[in-house]
Amino acid sequence: MQRKIFLLAAAAAVAATTLTGCGGSSSPGKAAAQSGQGGGTTGTIKIAYQRFGENRIMDNFLAGVKTEYEAANPGSKVELDPIVASENDYYTKLALMLKSSKTSPDLVYEDTFLINSDIKAGYLKPLDSYLSSWDQWSQFEESAKGAAKGQDGKTYGVPDGTDTRALWYSKDILKKAGIPVPWQPKTWDDVLTAARAVKAKVPGVTPFNIYSSKAAGEASTMQGFEMLLYGTGGTLYDDASKKWVVGSPHFVDSLKFVKTVFDEKLGPDAQDATDAQLSDKIQQQWLPNGKLAIALDGSWITGSWLPTGGKPWPQWSEALGQTPMPTQKGQAPGRISLSGGWTWAISAKSDHADAAWKFIQAAQTEKNAAKYAVAASQIAVRKDVAADASYTAANSKAPVFSEVVAVTKYRPAYPEYPQISNQIQVAMESVMTGQSSPEDAAKAYDESVKGIVGDDGTTTQ
Amino acid sequence: MSVAHPRADASQSRRAVARALPLAPATLLLLVFLAGPIVWSVYGAFTNTALSGAGAANSHFIGLDNFHKAFDSSAFRNSVVLTLVFTFLSAIVGQNLVGLCLALLMRAGSKVVRTLVGAFVVGAWVIPEVVAGYIWYAFLGKDGSLNAFFDSVGLGHQALLFSHPIVAVSIANIWRGTAFSMLVYSAALSEVPRELEEAAEVDGASGARRLWSVTLPLIRRSVTTNLMLITLQTLSVFGLIYTMTKGGPGTKSQTLPLYMYEQAFSFGQLGYGTALALVMLVVGAVFSLVYLRVLKTEI
Amino acid sequence: MATTMSRPVTAAAAPRSRTMHARSRAQKAVVNLVLLLIGAMFVVPLLWVLLASVNADAGLSVSWPGHPSLDNFKAVLDEETTFRPMRNGLLLCGSAAVLTLVASTLAAYPLSRYDTRYRKPFLLTILFSTGLPITAIMVPVYGLFVQINLVDTRIGTVLFLATTGLPFGIWLMKNFMDGVPVSLEEAAWTDGASSLQALRFVVLPLMWPGLAVVAIFTFIGMWGNFFVPFVLLLSPDKLPASVSIYTFFSQYGQVAYGQLAAYSLIYALPVVLLYLLLSRKLGGAFTLGGAVKG
Repeated sequence: MQRKIFLLAAAAAVAATTLTGCGGSSSPGKAAAQSGQGGGTTGTIKIAYQRFGENRIMDNFLAGVKTEYEAANPGSKVELDPIVASENDYYTKLALMLKSSKTSPDLVYEDTFLINSDIKAGYLKPLDSYLSSWDQWSQFEESAKGAAKGQDGKTYGVPDGTDTRALWYSKDILKKAGIPVPWQPKTWDDVLTAARAVKAKVPGVTPFNIYSSKAAGEASTMQGFEMLLYGTGGTLYDDASKKWVVGSPHFVDSLKFVKTVFDEKLGPDAQDATDAQLSDKIQQQWLPNGKLAIALDGSWITGSWLPTGGKPWPQWSEALGQTPMPTQKGQAPGRISLSGGWTWAISAKSDHADAAWKFIQAAQTEKNAAKYAVAASQIAVRKDVAADASYTAANSKAPVFSEVVAVTKYRPAYPEYPQISNQIQVAMESVMTGQSSPEDAAKAYDESVKGIVGDDGTTTQ
Repeated sequence: MSVAHPRADASQSRRAVARALPLAPATLLLLVFLAGPIVWSVYGAFTNTALSGAGAANSHFIGLDNFHKAFDSSAFRNSVVLTLVFTFLSAIVGQNLVGLCLALLMRAGSKVVRTLVGAFVVGAWVIPEVVAGYIWYAFLGKDGSLNAFFDSVGLGHQALLFSHPIVAVSIANIWRGTAFSMLVYSAALSEVPRELEEAAEVDGASGARRLWSVTLPLIRRSVTTNLMLITLQTLSVFGLIYTMTKGGPGTKSQTLPLYMYEQAFSFGQLGYGTALALVMLVVGAVFSLVYLRVLKTEI
Repeated sequence: MATTMSRPVTAAAAPRSRTMHARSRAQKAVVNLVLLLIGAMFVVPLLWVLLASVNADAGLSVSWPGHPSLDNFKAVLDEETTFRPMRNGLLLCGSAAVLTLVASTLAAYPLSRYDTRYRKPFLLTILFSTGLPITAIMVPVYGLFVQINLVDTRIGTVLFLATTGLPFGIWLMKNFMDGVPVSLEEAAWTDGASSLQALRFVVLPLMWPGLAVVAIFTFIGMWGNFFVPFVLLLSPDKLPASVSIYTFFSQYGQVAYGQLAAYSLIYALPVVLLYLLLSRKLGGAFTLGGAVKG
């Protein structure tokens, strides 16, 4: 009798599946896409990108390019598919969509942080054959060209801008502390000296913030640790041997800087430093209310202070100064920055790769690239855009962030990177809270890295 | 099944089918949409499959490696312990007892008060999870309203989110989840015949005694069901903790779902994440069986 | 818990003395006070949402709005952010909740009433599957949906949402059904009613409070579910309210707290209304029962 029920259920299941299978509509764009010929330049291309937040900058920009593109290519259609989600969720969904040719978009917007995972998974198409005959590619900064390079040496994405990191400081507080403004620190010690002066002379103010907790996530790794490490001459990943670096004295030096900051109470107290909402506090309270003197932070934080942002603060450009993060001892090139940013990539399963490439070209004319960089407060990765009048005008309030593009570094964002980054945060937090010495924390990091990539995946510099 | 009388047997089995028929829609849905994915997930837990990266291109069977990796990992053990503490504090003790108290009191309260308090409690339940996280962050945080209140009455600062984050998130979860227990107990109590309780009152039994020996036994099934459901719900709480502490400081509030999310979606290790999900499944099943046994409830 | 016995006086309790009356009135006042105290504990943390929603530059700390305004509400009350996602959510979660409710009522009946061989294994299977985090199986579910062409269809999402509600729904429903004495149906059976008729006309009317709980519980579970519709639907114009909440966050971590708070209040509204509607069943049941018995 049990069997009967199950047979019945199974039969019904099959019936239901077939029924819904017939009734279920596949999305209209796909149907059109399937009718197009492989690799053709006509038909519908589908574009997937992240929409997180109320701003519609990307939507508006793409809508404009779509109009231009469809006018220039009669018979071609573009379908925009924004994905409303946080970054992790966006990536989960993108990976799922890219996995199946039934749902794969043609063109995808990929963060340089994660693009290498998708390259390795075989989700993306190498663009070298297109790039070699593209006259605009020479306009891109060399460092930016590497932003979407896979471990196989091929390029899989065209960057449309980037972000950089530097020191923000309150002119007012530094003046009170007796530091001449504009402030131009040349070494790590200069930074610490200024912070000590603030601590001594301006009570009730946090002298310096460097993200150092696991809760701050990638901000700790990138705005914090890597800004230090890459200013020592050290590196996380050795490009020549394609291995992760362990046993590095530079790694220990960087942790020692963190230790000094928190031992001398130059940073936020432990409770704030491990707070899950620290970056919000800094952007929406501490900096606008004059409670933080120096912040090692990103170019984008002004977004909070726009009239549409979380904390409108039109006076920020008078109140705050910016200066590049110096290298450890002032060694060449004297300053350092780290860059993230996003790239346009083409799905390996796309039937319309050529059309998708044409769309990238349309979006990356000098005019359009400048338009986007200005609208999205991006740091330009193209030389012609960086010289564009509209761009320089828009960046005049914080020009430092564009200047450091010349020295900026991209993360070794290979598939293991998210786990390595997590281990860096663990090391930083254990030093910050005084649980480990810099040496012990570095040793623990080395062990974890070996656990993640295997012994033969590591090297000593 | 008896085989002595074929005709009786036939009618009997016809009746059995007729009786089982109402199960068909639910069974059908469960088979089509849940059974398959679960089987796949169980298989996935024994592979190195990943969302992206090399494990997405070609995943293969790796036996028990994911489970070995989990049990060797101190982060995993930490998350299991925290999950148990969180579940015990917030579900078994917190939501369950507060919910029962509310349901009992509501029987005796006046209609206006009942409706008002009920709406507050349910309101806490339906606020989106991330917002509930912000609410409690704003309440318990260093510059939060609780400290502002403590200041105004001359008490020292509390730093629960920093010193005992698992307690802080447990309190938030009690706040958020009590509504369900309250509803279940209200519904169950509404079916308890008043005469039984009143008879006990006439016999001179005290309130606590009446509750223990008359009322609770009558709603024992609901107690079991409620405990099981809130335990299983609490085991998988994610958004609330993630917003309040991101699992920190360090890993002091990283429960299993947060650990799983980090591994499966931040690090893309789907196979390992699925193995962790299976561990959660087992933990939930053990809880459920213990409830059934301890509360002597027949299913 | 001595106060639990005081309650609206029923016909059976009427012949009590005046002193009993006075005592129970005092008891009732105490009960109301305690209830209000607990209610206050639930409402105090909510103050942040209430204050932030009328504060144009709300932050994460509670502050009295300098110039209370409805700007946040105005900002979120548009088709794309609120109205369409709310409609979508009501459609998706409403249909799925009804489906869950019907299927689990039907399933709970034989499980509660007949002692068959499949009963125990079926219930145990259901029980274990309730513990499975749905997030963990969404990847294969997506694969399945691609195979059977259900990705980006409302019907597929409704069916899956309904399925995820079933294990809890069946458990709860069976539990409440167990509370209804079988003796009442036996009378109906002898009158020749089928089991479905007995369910419809005898059992269900006696378990309205239970049904209300299952309905609220199921609907809330779906209403708050972000990941399922997010993964299974592709077109932005089909996404429900639980997804559009991410409109208030941004890629670089800035959050529009005031708008988030305003949106949350609007988002919570349908469920609070549902509760207020159904709470008459919950609270009203024993007054009704008392009246009938009297």
